[in-house]
Amino acid sequence: MWKIVQCAVQGRGHMQMGIPCQDKTCFLVRNGVTVIALADGAGSARLSHFGAERVTQFVCDDLCENFDRYFDVEDGSLVKKALVSKILVTLDELGGKLDCEIGELASTLLFVAVKDERFILAHIGDGVIGYQKKDELRVASLPENGEFANTTVFTTSREAVATMKLIKGKTGEIRGFVLMSDGTEASLYNKKEKRLAGVIKRIMNHCLLILPEKVEEQLRAGFEAAVREATGDDCSMILMVEDREPFQGYSNLAPAEKARLLSLPVFIRPRRLRRYDVILHSLESGRTLRELARILRLKPKYTKKYLKRLAKINYIERRGNKYYTIVIMNT
Amino acid sequence: MENNLLRIEDLVNNPTPRVPVCLCLDISGSMGAVEGDCEETGETVFEDGETWNIVTGGTSRISELEAGVEAFYEEIRADEMTVYSAEICIVTFGDKAICIEDFANIERQQELPKLCPAGDTAMGEGVNLALDLLERRKQEYQDKGVDYYQPWLVLMTDGKPNGDEEELARAIRRTADMVNNKKLTVFPIGIGSEADMDVLGQFSPKREPLKLKGLKFREFFVWLSQSLSRTSMSMPGEVIKLDTEGIKGWGEL
Repeated sequence: MWKIVQCAVQGRGHMQMGIPCQDKTCFLVRNGVTVIALADGAGSARLSHFGAERVTQFVCDDLCENFDRYFDVEDGSLVKKALVSKILVTLDELGGKLDCEIGELASTLLFVAVKDERFILAHIGDGVIGYQKKDELRVASLPENGEFANTTVFTTSREAVATMKLIKGKTGEIRGFVLMSDGTEASLYNKKEKRLAGVIKRIMNHCLLILPEKVEEQLRAGFEAAVREATGDDCSMILMVEDREPFQGYSNLAPAEKARLLSLPVFIRPRRLRRYDVILHSLESGRTLRELARILRLKPKYTKKYLKRLAKINYIERRGNKYYTIVIMNT
Repeated sequence: MENNLLRIEDLVNNPTPRVPVCLCLDISGSMGAVEGDCEETGETVFEDGETWNIVTGGTSRISELEAGVEAFYEEIRADEMTVYSAEICIVTFGDKAICIEDFANIERQQELPKLCPAGDTAMGEGVNLALDLLERRKQEYQDKGVDYYQPWLVLMTDGKPNGDEEELARAIRRTADMVNNKKLTVFPIGIGSEADMDVLGQFSPKREPLKLKGLKFREFFVWLSQSLSRTSMSMPGEVIKLDTEGIKGWGEL
Protein backbone atom coordinates (compact mmCIF):
# COMPACT_ATOMS: atom_id res chain seq x y z
CA MET A 1 0.00 0.00 0.00
CA TRP A 2 1.25 3.47 -0.91
CA LYS A 3 0.81 6.50 1.31
CA ILE A 4 0.49 9.81 -0.51
CA VAL A 5 1.13 13.35 0.65
CA GLN A 6 0.78 16.48 -1.49
CA CYS A 7 1.16 20.21 -1.19
CA ALA A 8 0.86 23.22 -3.55
CA VAL A 9 1.25 26.85 -2.50
CA GLN A 10 0.87 30.09 -4.44
CA GLY A 11 4.18 31.84 -5.14
CA ARG A 12 5.03 35.31 -3.87
CA GLY A 13 5.15 36.70 -7.40
CA HIS A 14 1.68 35.37 -8.13
CA MET A 15 0.36 36.72 -4.81
CA GLN A 16 1.63 40.19 -5.72
CA MET A 17 0.07 40.05 -9.18
CA GLY A 18 -3.17 38.35 -8.13
CA ILE A 19 -2.51 35.31 -10.32
CA PRO A 20 -3.87 31.99 -8.96
CA CYS A 21 -1.57 29.12 -8.01
CA GLN A 22 -0.75 27.40 -11.30
CA ASP A 23 0.86 24.34 -9.70
CA LYS A 24 -1.57 21.44 -9.40
CA THR A 25 -1.19 17.97 -7.89
CA CYS A 26 -3.50 14.99 -8.05
CA PHE A 27 -3.55 11.30 -7.17
CA LEU A 28 -5.80 8.34 -7.81
CA VAL A 29 -5.91 4.75 -6.60
CA ARG A 30 -8.04 2.47 -8.76
CA ASN A 31 -7.86 -0.95 -10.42
CA GLY A 32 -4.80 -1.79 -8.31
CA VAL A 33 -2.96 1.20 -9.76
CA THR A 34 -1.65 4.12 -7.70
CA VAL A 35 -0.89 7.30 -9.65
CA ILE A 36 0.53 10.63 -8.50
CA ALA A 37 0.74 13.59 -10.89
CA LEU A 38 1.94 17.17 -10.83
CA ALA A 39 1.64 19.94 -13.41
CA ASP A 40 2.99 23.49 -13.36
CA GLY A 41 0.90 25.82 -15.50
CA ALA A 42 2.84 28.09 -17.86
CA GLY A 43 3.25 31.54 -16.31
CA SER A 44 2.86 33.08 -19.74
CA ALA A 45 -0.48 31.32 -20.36
CA ARG A 46 -3.60 32.97 -18.99
CA LEU A 47 -5.62 29.89 -18.04
CA SER A 48 -2.81 27.45 -17.39
CA HIS A 49 -4.08 26.67 -13.89
CA PHE A 50 -7.14 25.05 -15.49
CA GLY A 51 -4.94 23.17 -17.95
CA ALA A 52 -2.63 21.96 -15.19
CA GLU A 53 -5.54 20.73 -13.10
CA ARG A 54 -7.18 18.94 -16.01
CA VAL A 55 -4.02 17.27 -17.25
CA THR A 56 -3.19 15.83 -13.81
CA GLN A 57 -6.71 14.45 -13.45
CA PHE A 58 -6.53 13.03 -16.94
CA VAL A 59 -3.24 11.15 -16.52
CA CYS A 60 -4.39 9.75 -13.18
CA ASP A 61 -7.55 8.41 -14.84
CA ASP A 62 -5.78 7.22 -17.96
CA LEU A 63 -3.01 5.37 -16.14
CA CYS A 64 -5.48 3.66 -13.80
CA GLU A 65 -7.35 2.41 -16.87
CA ASN A 66 -4.45 1.61 -19.18
CA PHE A 67 -1.43 0.82 -17.03
CA ASP A 68 -0.97 -2.73 -18.34
CA ARG A 69 -1.55 -1.70 -21.92
CA TYR A 70 1.15 0.98 -21.73
CA PHE A 71 3.57 -1.17 -19.77
CA ASP A 72 3.38 -4.02 -22.26
CA VAL A 73 4.15 -1.87 -25.30
CA GLU A 74 7.74 -2.56 -26.33
CA ASP A 75 8.24 0.67 -28.23
CA GLY A 76 8.13 3.53 -25.73
CA SER A 77 7.83 6.16 -28.44
CA LEU A 78 4.35 4.81 -29.22
CA VAL A 79 3.36 5.33 -25.59
CA LYS A 80 4.73 8.88 -25.65
CA LYS A 81 2.79 9.70 -28.79
CA ALA A 82 -0.39 8.11 -27.44
CA LEU A 83 -0.15 9.98 -24.14
CA VAL A 84 0.54 13.38 -25.71
CA SER A 85 -2.15 12.90 -28.30
CA LYS A 86 -4.75 12.04 -25.61
CA ILE A 87 -3.61 15.00 -23.51
CA LEU A 88 -4.05 17.34 -26.46
CA VAL A 89 -7.58 16.02 -27.10
CA THR A 90 -8.41 16.53 -23.42
CA LEU A 91 -7.03 20.09 -23.42
CA ASP A 92 -8.77 20.82 -26.69
CA GLU A 93 -12.09 19.86 -25.10
CA LEU A 94 -11.32 22.06 -22.12
CA GLY A 95 -10.33 24.89 -24.45
CA GLY A 96 -13.75 24.57 -26.11
CA LYS A 97 -15.49 24.90 -22.75
CA LEU A 98 -13.35 27.84 -21.64
CA ASP A 99 -13.38 29.43 -25.08
CA CYS A 100 -9.60 29.69 -25.31
CA GLU A 101 -6.72 28.46 -27.44
CA ILE A 102 -5.03 25.26 -26.31
CA GLY A 103 -1.79 27.20 -25.71
CA GLU A 104 -3.53 29.07 -22.88
CA LEU A 105 -3.77 25.74 -21.03
CA ALA A 106 -0.09 24.83 -21.30
CA SER A 107 1.66 23.19 -18.39
CA THR A 108 4.49 20.85 -17.56
CA LEU A 109 3.60 17.31 -16.51
CA LEU A 110 5.18 14.78 -14.17
CA PHE A 111 3.63 11.50 -13.09
CA VAL A 112 4.41 8.12 -11.54
CA ALA A 113 2.06 5.15 -11.74
CA VAL A 114 2.61 1.90 -9.85
CA LYS A 115 0.86 -1.43 -10.18
CA ASP A 116 1.98 -4.50 -8.27
CA GLU A 117 5.76 -4.47 -8.62
CA ARG A 118 5.87 -2.34 -11.75
CA PHE A 119 6.04 1.39 -12.33
CA ILE A 120 5.81 3.88 -15.19
CA LEU A 121 7.00 7.45 -14.88
CA ALA A 122 6.86 10.29 -17.36
CA HIS A 123 8.04 13.88 -17.46
CA ILE A 124 7.45 16.83 -19.82
CA GLY A 125 9.20 20.13 -19.02
CA ASP A 126 10.89 21.28 -15.85
CA GLY A 127 10.55 20.05 -12.28
CA VAL A 128 12.19 16.93 -10.89
CA ILE A 129 11.17 13.30 -10.37
CA GLY A 130 13.06 11.53 -7.61
CA TYR A 131 12.87 8.24 -5.79
CA GLN A 132 14.20 6.54 -2.71
CA LYS A 133 15.91 3.21 -3.26
CA LYS A 134 16.80 1.43 -0.03
CA ASP A 135 18.05 4.37 2.00
CA GLU A 136 19.27 6.52 -0.84
CA LEU A 137 17.54 9.41 -2.60
CA ARG A 138 18.08 9.45 -6.35
CA VAL A 139 16.96 11.53 -9.31
CA ALA A 140 14.92 9.74 -11.97
CA SER A 141 14.28 12.66 -14.31
CA LEU A 142 15.96 16.06 -14.51
CA PRO A 143 14.32 19.33 -15.52
CA GLU A 144 14.10 20.08 -19.25
CA ASN A 145 14.98 23.75 -19.59
CA GLY A 146 16.11 25.80 -22.52
CA GLU A 147 19.00 28.22 -22.18
CA PHE A 148 16.97 30.38 -19.83
CA ALA A 149 15.70 29.42 -16.39
CA ASN A 150 12.06 30.11 -17.23
CA THR A 151 11.90 28.51 -20.66
CA THR A 152 10.75 24.95 -20.86
CA VAL A 153 8.61 22.47 -22.77
CA PHE A 154 4.89 22.17 -22.11
CA THR A 155 2.21 19.60 -22.84
CA THR A 156 1.12 21.76 -25.78
CA SER A 157 4.65 22.33 -27.17
CA ARG A 158 5.72 20.90 -30.50
CA GLU A 159 8.63 19.22 -28.70
CA ALA A 160 6.43 17.52 -26.07
CA VAL A 161 6.81 14.01 -27.49
CA ALA A 162 10.45 14.40 -28.45
CA THR A 163 11.57 15.69 -25.06
CA MET A 164 9.26 13.58 -22.89
CA LYS A 165 11.05 11.20 -20.58
CA LEU A 166 9.34 7.87 -20.12
CA ILE A 167 10.69 5.20 -17.82
CA LYS A 168 9.31 1.84 -16.76
CA GLY A 169 10.64 -0.83 -14.49
CA LYS A 170 10.23 -2.97 -11.40
CA THR A 171 9.84 -1.18 -8.10
CA GLY A 172 12.18 -3.69 -6.42
CA GLU A 173 13.87 -1.85 -3.59
CA ILE A 174 12.26 1.48 -4.44
CA ARG A 175 10.49 2.75 -1.35
CA GLY A 176 9.02 5.99 -2.60
CA PHE A 177 8.69 8.50 -5.44
CA VAL A 178 8.58 12.28 -5.32
CA LEU A 179 7.49 14.86 -7.92
CA MET A 180 8.30 18.54 -7.55
CA SER A 181 7.74 21.71 -9.59
CA ASP A 182 10.50 24.15 -10.52
CA GLY A 183 9.53 26.46 -7.65
CA THR A 184 10.20 23.65 -5.18
CA GLU A 185 13.33 22.70 -7.09
CA ALA A 186 14.90 25.97 -5.86
CA SER A 187 14.84 24.65 -2.28
CA LEU A 188 14.72 20.88 -2.41
CA TYR A 189 17.01 20.06 -5.33
CA ASN A 190 20.66 20.95 -5.55
CA LYS A 191 21.01 22.06 -9.16
CA LYS A 192 24.80 22.02 -9.22
CA GLU A 193 25.12 18.53 -7.78
CA LYS A 194 21.86 17.24 -9.29
CA ARG A 195 20.88 15.88 -5.89
CA LEU A 196 17.66 15.95 -3.87
CA ALA A 197 17.61 17.56 -0.42
CA GLY A 198 17.96 14.98 2.36
CA VAL A 199 14.83 16.25 4.09
CA ILE A 200 12.72 14.46 1.46
CA LYS A 201 13.76 11.19 3.06
CA ARG A 202 12.58 12.46 6.43
CA ILE A 203 9.25 13.51 4.92
CA MET A 204 8.87 10.09 3.28
CA ASN A 205 9.65 8.39 6.57
CA HIS A 206 7.18 10.53 8.46
CA CYS A 207 4.45 9.65 5.97
CA LEU A 208 4.54 6.17 7.48
CA LEU A 209 4.67 7.17 11.13
CA ILE A 210 2.65 10.36 11.46
CA LEU A 211 -1.02 10.90 10.85
CA PRO A 212 -1.26 11.75 7.10
CA GLU A 213 -3.29 14.91 7.68
CA LYS A 214 -0.59 16.10 10.08
CA VAL A 215 2.19 15.48 7.54
CA GLU A 216 0.25 17.46 4.96
CA GLU A 217 -0.45 20.26 7.41
CA GLN A 218 3.22 20.48 8.42
CA LEU A 219 4.38 20.20 4.84
CA ARG A 220 2.14 23.07 3.84
CA ALA A 221 3.32 25.17 6.77
CA GLY A 222 6.94 24.41 5.82
CA PHE A 223 6.29 25.37 2.20
CA GLU A 224 4.63 28.63 3.22
CA ALA A 225 7.31 29.57 5.73
CA ALA A 226 10.46 28.36 4.00
CA VAL A 227 10.20 26.89 0.48
CA ARG A 228 8.12 29.74 -0.94
CA GLU A 229 10.57 32.32 0.42
CA ALA A 230 13.36 31.10 -1.85
CA THR A 231 11.49 31.85 -5.09
CA GLY A 232 8.76 34.01 -6.56
CA ASP A 233 7.24 30.96 -8.24
CA ASP A 234 4.46 28.62 -7.10
CA CYS A 235 5.79 25.61 -5.20
CA SER A 236 4.38 22.10 -5.16
CA MET A 237 5.31 18.55 -4.34
CA ILE A 238 3.57 15.19 -4.21
CA LEU A 239 5.10 11.99 -2.96
CA MET A 240 4.13 8.37 -2.52
CA VAL A 241 5.76 5.99 -0.05
CA GLU A 242 5.22 2.27 0.18
CA ASP A 243 4.18 0.93 3.51
CA ARG A 244 5.78 -2.49 3.03
CA GLU A 245 5.68 -3.52 6.66
CA PRO A 246 2.69 -1.51 7.76
CA PHE A 247 3.33 0.47 10.90
CA GLN A 248 0.87 -0.82 13.49
CA GLY A 249 1.27 2.15 15.76
CA TYR A 250 3.68 3.04 18.55
CA SER A 251 1.61 1.25 21.18
CA ASN A 252 2.05 -2.08 19.42
CA LEU A 253 5.83 -1.97 19.22
CA ALA A 254 8.20 -4.06 21.33
CA PRO A 255 10.39 -2.02 23.73
CA ALA A 256 13.48 -2.30 21.49
CA GLU A 257 11.50 -1.04 18.48
CA LYS A 258 10.10 1.84 20.51
CA ALA A 259 13.63 2.80 21.55
CA ARG A 260 14.78 2.70 17.93
CA LEU A 261 11.86 4.86 16.83
CA LEU A 262 12.64 7.37 19.56
CA SER A 263 16.34 7.29 18.64
CA LEU A 264 17.16 6.10 22.15
CA PRO A 265 19.74 3.45 23.11
CA VAL A 266 18.26 -0.05 22.72
CA PHE A 267 19.20 -0.86 26.30
CA ILE A 268 17.38 2.09 27.78
CA ARG A 269 16.02 1.60 31.29
CA PRO A 270 12.43 0.32 31.09
CA ARG A 271 11.28 3.02 33.50
CA ARG A 272 12.52 5.78 31.22
CA LEU A 273 10.93 4.21 28.16
CA ARG A 274 7.65 3.85 30.05
CA ARG A 275 7.79 7.57 30.68
CA TYR A 276 7.76 8.16 26.94
CA ASP A 277 4.82 5.74 26.65
CA VAL A 278 2.88 7.69 29.24
CA ILE A 279 3.66 11.02 27.59
CA LEU A 280 2.60 9.89 24.13
CA HIS A 281 -0.60 8.31 25.43
CA SER A 282 -1.45 11.30 27.62
CA LEU A 283 -0.93 13.75 24.80
CA GLU A 284 -3.35 11.96 22.51
CA SER A 285 -5.97 14.23 24.01
CA GLY A 286 -3.76 17.27 24.48
CA ARG A 287 -2.20 18.50 27.75
CA THR A 288 -0.45 21.56 29.03
CA LEU A 289 3.07 21.25 30.42
CA ARG A 290 1.79 21.49 33.99
CA GLU A 291 -0.92 18.87 33.44
CA LEU A 292 1.60 16.48 31.97
CA ALA A 293 4.13 17.16 34.72
CA ARG A 294 1.45 16.24 37.25
CA ILE A 295 0.74 12.96 35.42
CA LEU A 296 4.43 12.10 35.28
CA ARG A 297 5.07 13.33 38.80
CA LEU A 298 8.02 15.27 37.47
CA LYS A 299 8.97 18.90 37.82
CA PRO A 300 7.86 20.91 34.73
CA LYS A 301 11.47 21.73 33.83
CA TYR A 302 12.29 17.98 33.55
CA THR A 303 9.02 17.25 31.77
CA LYS A 304 9.93 19.93 29.26
CA LYS A 305 13.08 18.06 28.32
CA TYR A 306 11.03 15.04 27.28
CA LEU A 307 8.66 17.25 25.33
CA LYS A 308 11.50 19.00 23.54
CA ARG A 309 12.96 15.71 22.47
CA LEU A 310 9.65 14.38 21.17
CA ALA A 311 8.91 17.63 19.33
CA LYS A 312 12.32 17.59 17.71
CA ILE A 313 11.70 14.15 16.23
CA ASN A 314 8.23 15.39 15.29
CA TYR A 315 6.14 12.88 17.26
CA ILE A 316 4.31 15.58 19.17
CA GLU A 317 3.36 19.14 18.34
CA ARG A 318 2.42 22.21 20.31
CA ARG A 319 -0.79 24.08 19.62
CA GLY A 320 -1.35 27.07 21.88
CA ASN A 321 -0.29 25.99 25.36
CA LYS A 322 -1.12 22.33 24.79
CA TYR A 323 0.94 19.49 23.41
CA TYR A 324 -0.52 16.76 21.18
CA THR A 325 0.74 13.39 19.99
CA ILE A 326 0.92 13.16 16.22
CA VAL A 327 2.75 9.86 15.82
CA ILE A 328 0.32 7.04 14.98
CA MET A 329 -0.36 5.20 18.25
CA ASN A 330 -2.74 2.49 17.03
CA THR A 331 -4.02 1.48 13.62
CA MET B 1 3.24 26.10 15.83
CA GLU B 2 6.83 24.95 15.43
CA ASN B 3 7.48 22.95 12.29
CA ASN B 4 9.75 19.98 12.78
CA LEU B 5 9.11 18.37 9.42
CA LEU B 6 10.52 21.00 7.07
CA ARG B 7 12.74 23.76 8.38
CA ILE B 8 14.73 26.50 6.68
CA GLU B 9 17.99 24.73 7.55
CA ASP B 10 16.80 21.66 5.62
CA LEU B 11 16.66 23.56 2.34
CA VAL B 12 19.21 23.58 -0.43
CA ASN B 13 20.76 26.97 -1.17
CA ASN B 14 20.75 27.35 -4.96
CA PRO B 15 21.91 30.67 -6.43
CA THR B 16 19.04 32.97 -7.47
CA PRO B 17 18.56 32.95 -11.26
CA ARG B 18 19.81 36.25 -12.69
CA VAL B 19 18.36 38.69 -15.24
CA PRO B 20 21.14 40.61 -16.99
CA VAL B 21 19.96 44.05 -18.07
CA CYS B 22 22.04 46.41 -20.21
CA LEU B 23 21.03 50.06 -20.41
CA CYS B 24 22.45 51.40 -23.65
CA LEU B 25 22.12 55.18 -23.38
CA ASP B 26 22.64 57.99 -25.84
CA ILE B 27 24.81 60.72 -24.26
CA SER B 28 25.52 62.59 -27.49
CA GLY B 29 25.56 66.38 -27.44
CA SER B 30 21.85 66.59 -28.22
CA MET B 31 21.06 64.93 -24.89
CA GLY B 32 22.13 68.25 -23.34
CA ALA B 33 19.06 69.85 -24.95
CA VAL B 34 16.93 71.74 -22.48
CA GLU B 35 13.14 71.81 -22.13
CA GLY B 36 10.84 73.87 -19.95
CA ASP B 37 11.38 77.48 -18.81
CA CYS B 38 14.71 78.70 -20.18
CA GLU B 39 16.34 81.83 -21.56
CA GLU B 40 18.50 82.10 -24.65
CA THR B 41 21.98 83.58 -24.12
CA GLY B 42 22.40 84.45 -27.79
CA GLU B 43 25.35 82.06 -28.18
CA THR B 44 25.24 78.92 -30.36
CA VAL B 45 27.21 75.71 -30.56
CA PHE B 46 27.55 73.03 -33.28
CA GLU B 47 27.27 69.56 -31.78
CA ASP B 48 26.00 66.13 -32.85
CA GLY B 49 25.35 67.33 -36.43
CA GLU B 50 23.25 70.36 -35.47
CA THR B 51 23.55 73.97 -34.32
CA TRP B 52 22.17 74.57 -30.81
CA ASN B 53 21.25 77.76 -28.95
CA ILE B 54 22.86 78.01 -25.54
CA VAL B 55 20.29 78.73 -22.81
CA THR B 56 20.06 79.11 -19.06
CA GLY B 57 17.45 77.41 -16.84
CA GLY B 58 15.13 74.59 -17.89
CA THR B 59 15.72 70.86 -17.50
CA SER B 60 18.10 68.94 -19.69
CA ARG B 61 17.32 65.51 -21.13
CA ILE B 62 20.46 64.06 -19.62
CA SER B 63 19.61 65.16 -16.07
CA GLU B 64 16.13 63.63 -16.40
CA LEU B 65 17.71 60.47 -17.79
CA GLU B 66 20.04 60.33 -14.80
CA ALA B 67 17.12 60.76 -12.42
CA GLY B 68 15.26 58.00 -14.30
CA VAL B 69 18.17 55.57 -13.99
CA GLU B 70 18.41 56.41 -10.28
CA ALA B 71 14.70 55.66 -9.94
CA PHE B 72 15.22 52.34 -11.74
CA TYR B 73 17.84 51.31 -9.21
CA GLU B 74 15.68 52.48 -6.30
CA GLU B 75 12.68 50.49 -7.50
CA ILE B 76 14.75 47.36 -7.94
CA ARG B 77 16.32 47.76 -4.50
CA ALA B 78 12.83 48.06 -3.02
CA ASP B 79 11.64 44.80 -4.60
CA GLU B 80 12.72 41.85 -2.48
CA MET B 81 12.72 39.50 -5.46
CA THR B 82 14.39 41.52 -8.22
CA VAL B 83 17.04 42.92 -5.89
CA TYR B 84 18.72 39.51 -5.89
CA SER B 85 18.11 38.63 -9.52
CA ALA B 86 18.61 41.82 -11.56
CA GLU B 87 22.13 42.65 -12.65
CA ILE B 88 22.61 45.91 -14.50
CA CYS B 89 25.29 47.25 -16.78
CA ILE B 90 25.33 50.71 -18.38
CA VAL B 91 26.81 51.45 -21.81
CA THR B 92 26.84 55.02 -23.09
CA PHE B 93 27.41 56.16 -26.63
CA GLY B 94 28.44 59.61 -27.84
CA ASP B 95 31.52 59.79 -30.08
CA LYS B 96 32.31 56.28 -28.92
CA ALA B 97 30.78 53.48 -26.86
CA ILE B 98 31.90 53.07 -23.26
CA CYS B 99 30.83 50.72 -20.47
CA ILE B 100 30.49 53.05 -17.49
CA GLU B 101 29.01 50.47 -15.09
CA ASP B 102 29.80 46.80 -15.44
CA PHE B 103 27.45 43.97 -14.39
CA ALA B 104 27.14 43.45 -10.66
CA ASN B 105 24.49 42.86 -8.09
CA ILE B 106 22.52 46.06 -7.50
CA GLU B 107 23.59 46.28 -3.88
CA ARG B 108 27.19 46.72 -4.99
CA GLN B 109 26.33 49.56 -7.36
CA GLN B 110 25.78 52.41 -4.93
CA GLU B 111 27.25 55.45 -6.74
CA LEU B 112 26.11 55.81 -10.33
CA PRO B 113 28.51 57.58 -12.68
CA LYS B 114 27.56 61.07 -13.90
CA LEU B 115 26.37 61.30 -17.51
CA CYS B 116 27.93 64.15 -19.54
CA PRO B 117 26.41 64.93 -22.94
CA ALA B 118 28.95 65.40 -25.72
CA GLY B 119 29.81 64.28 -29.22
CA ASP B 120 27.97 62.33 -31.95
CA THR B 121 25.59 59.37 -31.81
CA ALA B 122 27.61 56.17 -32.27
CA MET B 123 24.56 53.99 -31.72
CA GLY B 124 25.82 50.93 -33.61
CA GLU B 125 29.01 50.87 -31.58
CA GLY B 126 26.99 51.26 -28.38
CA VAL B 127 24.61 48.40 -29.14
CA ASN B 128 27.45 46.10 -30.25
CA LEU B 129 29.29 46.75 -27.00
CA ALA B 130 26.08 46.13 -25.03
CA LEU B 131 25.50 42.80 -26.81
CA ASP B 132 29.11 41.76 -26.25
CA LEU B 133 28.80 42.48 -22.55
CA LEU B 134 25.52 40.54 -22.30
CA GLU B 135 27.13 37.56 -24.04
CA ARG B 136 30.13 37.71 -21.73
CA ARG B 137 27.87 37.85 -18.66
CA LYS B 138 25.85 34.84 -19.85
CA GLN B 139 29.10 32.91 -20.29
CA GLU B 140 30.10 33.81 -16.74
CA TYR B 141 26.76 32.52 -15.45
CA GLN B 142 27.23 29.31 -17.38
CA ASP B 143 30.78 28.87 -16.08
CA LYS B 144 29.59 29.30 -12.51
CA GLY B 145 26.46 27.16 -12.89
CA VAL B 146 24.07 30.07 -12.25
CA ASP B 147 20.68 29.94 -14.00
CA TYR B 148 19.60 33.06 -15.85
CA TYR B 149 16.65 34.54 -17.66
CA GLN B 150 16.53 36.08 -21.12
CA PRO B 151 18.74 39.20 -21.13
CA TRP B 152 17.28 42.66 -21.60
CA LEU B 153 18.63 45.48 -23.73
CA VAL B 154 17.20 48.97 -23.16
CA LEU B 155 18.22 51.31 -25.98
CA MET B 156 17.49 55.02 -25.47
CA THR B 157 18.26 57.78 -27.95
CA ASP B 158 17.07 61.23 -28.90
CA GLY B 159 18.55 61.43 -32.37
CA LYS B 160 19.76 59.74 -35.52
CA PRO B 161 22.74 57.42 -35.45
CA ASN B 162 25.77 59.01 -37.09
CA GLY B 163 28.56 56.61 -36.15
CA ASP B 164 30.06 53.92 -38.40
CA GLU B 165 27.38 52.62 -40.78
CA GLU B 166 28.73 49.08 -40.88
CA GLU B 167 28.74 48.91 -37.11
CA LEU B 168 25.13 50.11 -37.11
CA ALA B 169 24.09 47.48 -39.67
CA ARG B 170 25.88 44.77 -37.68
CA ALA B 171 24.23 45.90 -34.44
CA ILE B 172 20.77 45.86 -36.04
CA ARG B 173 21.36 42.41 -37.53
CA ARG B 174 22.66 40.94 -34.28
CA THR B 175 19.85 42.39 -32.19
CA ALA B 176 17.08 41.40 -34.59
CA ASP B 177 18.45 37.84 -34.89
CA MET B 178 18.60 37.45 -31.13
CA VAL B 179 15.07 38.78 -30.69
CA ASN B 180 13.75 36.48 -33.42
CA ASN B 181 15.48 33.51 -31.77
CA LYS B 182 14.03 34.41 -28.36
CA LYS B 183 17.49 35.14 -26.99
CA LEU B 184 16.96 38.80 -26.11
CA THR B 185 14.25 41.19 -24.99
CA VAL B 186 14.80 44.65 -26.42
CA PHE B 187 13.20 47.95 -25.41
CA PRO B 188 14.00 50.70 -27.95
CA ILE B 189 12.97 54.09 -26.60
CA GLY B 190 12.91 57.37 -28.52
CA ILE B 191 13.35 60.64 -26.62
CA GLY B 192 11.97 63.90 -28.05
CA SER B 193 10.77 64.66 -31.57
CA GLU B 194 14.10 64.10 -33.35
CA ALA B 195 14.55 60.48 -32.31
CA ASP B 196 14.86 58.24 -35.37
CA MET B 197 12.01 55.83 -34.73
CA ASP B 198 12.62 53.98 -38.02
CA VAL B 199 16.10 52.92 -36.98
CA LEU B 200 14.87 52.03 -33.49
CA GLY B 201 12.19 49.90 -35.13
CA GLN B 202 14.84 47.93 -37.00
CA PHE B 203 16.33 46.84 -33.66
CA SER B 204 13.00 45.47 -32.57
CA PRO B 205 11.33 43.11 -35.05
CA LYS B 206 8.62 42.01 -32.63
CA ARG B 207 7.66 45.15 -30.76
CA GLU B 208 7.14 48.76 -31.88
CA PRO B 209 9.71 51.13 -30.42
CA LEU B 210 8.27 53.38 -27.73
CA LYS B 211 8.39 57.14 -27.72
CA LEU B 212 8.97 58.61 -24.30
CA LYS B 213 6.25 61.04 -23.28
CA GLY B 214 8.01 64.36 -22.71
CA LEU B 215 10.85 63.65 -20.34
CA LYS B 216 9.05 61.04 -18.28
CA PHE B 217 12.11 58.90 -17.73
CA ARG B 218 11.15 58.17 -14.16
CA GLU B 219 7.77 56.68 -15.08
CA PHE B 220 9.39 54.57 -17.77
CA PHE B 221 12.06 53.16 -15.46
CA VAL B 222 9.54 52.45 -12.69
CA TRP B 223 7.47 50.49 -15.23
CA LEU B 224 10.62 48.71 -16.41
CA SER B 225 11.56 47.58 -12.91
CA GLN B 226 8.03 46.30 -12.32
CA SER B 227 8.26 44.32 -15.55
CA LEU B 228 11.53 42.83 -14.36
CA SER B 229 9.82 41.13 -11.45
CA ARG B 230 7.71 39.18 -13.95
CA THR B 231 10.63 37.62 -15.78
CA SER B 232 10.41 34.41 -13.79
CA MET B 233 7.09 33.51 -15.43
CA SER B 234 7.64 30.29 -17.33
CA MET B 235 7.19 30.35 -21.08
CA PRO B 236 7.71 28.01 -24.00
CA GLY B 237 11.40 27.52 -24.65
CA GLU B 238 13.33 28.56 -27.67
CA VAL B 239 13.78 25.61 -30.00
CA ILE B 240 15.15 22.99 -27.66
CA LYS B 241 17.88 20.70 -28.88
CA LEU B 242 16.26 17.33 -29.33
CA ASP B 243 17.62 14.30 -27.64
CA THR B 244 17.21 11.87 -30.49
CA GLU B 245 18.13 8.98 -28.21
CA GLY B 246 15.39 9.96 -25.80
CA ILE B 247 12.62 9.77 -28.33
CA LYS B 248 13.38 6.17 -29.17
CA GLY B 249 11.55 4.57 -26.34
CA TRP B 250 11.51 3.56 -22.71
CA GLY B 251 14.18 4.70 -20.33
CA GLU B 252 15.47 2.84 -17.31
CA LEU B 253 16.34 3.90 -13.80
